[in-house]
Amino acid sequence: MKIDAGDTAWVLACAALVMLMTPALGFFYGGLVRRKNVLSTIMHSFFILCLISVQWVLWGYSLAFGPDKFHLIGGLEWVGLNNVGFTPNAGYAPTIPHQAFMLFQMMFAVITPALISGAFAERQRFKAFVLFSLLWATFVYDPIAHWVWGAGGWLHNLGALDFAGGTVVHISSGVSALVAALVLGRRLGFGKQSFAPHDSTMTVLGAALLWFGWFGFNAGSALSAGALATNAFVVTNTAAAMAALTWMTVSWWHKRQPSVLGAAAGAVAGLVAITPASGFVNVMGAIVIGFGAGVVCYLAIQLRERIRVDDALDVWAVHGIGGTWGALATGLFATVAINSGAANGLFYGNPKQALIQLVAVGASWGWSIIGTFVILKVVNLIVPLRVGEEEEVLGLDLSQHGEPAYAGIHPN
Amino acid sequence: MDPTTVLALICSGLVFAGWLVLPHAPTTVKPAVVVSEERQPVSVSA
Repeated sequence: MKIDAGDTAWVLACAALVMLMTPALGFFYGGLVRRKNVLSTIMHSFFILCLISVQWVLWGYSLAFGPDKFHLIGGLEWVGLNNVGFTPNAGYAPTIPHQAFMLFQMMFAVITPALISGAFAERQRFKAFVLFSLLWATFVYDPIAHWVWGAGGWLHNLGALDFAGGTVVHISSGVSALVAALVLGRRLGFGKQSFAPHDSTMTVLGAALLWFGWFGFNAGSALSAGALATNAFVVTNTAAAMAALTWMTVSWWHKRQPSVLGAAAGAVAGLVAITPASGFVNVMGAIVIGFGAGVVCYLAIQLRERIRVDDALDVWAVHGIGGTWGALATGLFATVAINSGAANGLFYGNPKQALIQLVAVGASWGWSIIGTFVILKVVNLIVPLRVGEEEEVLGLDLSQHGEPAYAGIHPN
Repeated sequence: MDPTTVLALICSGLVFAGWLVLPHAPTTVKPAVVVSEERQPVSVSA
């Protein structure tokens, strides 16, 4: 197999774009929390970038993409990147060094647990967060990644379509976020005091950087610099824009004013929803997917508020529901005119694909719920998940890290 | 025209047409609170 310089350059550049998404997520989340918790919220994303970068080269990549065991998990043959060199792996990416593929996938493994951190913002003990993230990446993310993307994974064999991580990244993190929010319980003062974002400009900047990085996330998943990457780039931008317009319109109708944060959240919802579909649908499909994301994710937030679940930064509504909509919509709008190596969806004469997508969604929801619940309970036996009341009132910046975010300004 | 294109046009039409009927301005306008940080002169008696 011959290494293609253009493909390699593209995938390495995209890995860098996806890497940027994790600190961008920190800023997106950081703006949404109160001033006393901004630094700890940013730290969640920054710390996970470091933690999973090491976990991935030690054993994560081997579990997710290593030689298949029972169609459920990768073996340990590639632990420590043993046998993962510069010769391309024909099964995953035949024109780039195997380590370039590993690196690109690492950035996906990094951002996924970071997404969950929005659910337990402003109240989780940092030590518990460290343990949870390591266990979750190993026992929830790595197996689901193997099922869907690993050679021999059972959902891969079934024909499930997930171009860049609708099930692997967004459903897994979004559903786990809901479980985490339920297990940890509500923040002190939930429903009684204001939890207004302390810096909306930071959030909008974070959303813009996420949008930028998402081009690497989706277009890079083509693993080559060509037509498929171009399609993924175009539909990603289109769906994000359409979802932002839709969310803003729905919130304008509902709350009587066009929300700036709503437009930013809408763009992220559109990016989430197009993720699994970006290598399989055309630009018209992207408009429908973006529209659907703007509507269903907005409605999911209304439902979450009604049932009084304190998923602090709406990870479930945006990533869990957005990812579910995107995965199901892939089964509707996929067409071999875009990707001849895939399958048509329901709208192109193949209803079976919609059922396969439903199975993939159900399996991702199920494993995420069970795995996250068990991990949280185990971690809670070792170290309490939540900070104490005094620490929560003081804020996590000072109580967990001993540092205020803004010098000279009272953290409250 | 294939069904996906028809759906896309309907979705876009809904959003664009929605702007025609949405309110032009906030229904309730709160008066801006102006906080002056200018120090007032203080009379000092000898």
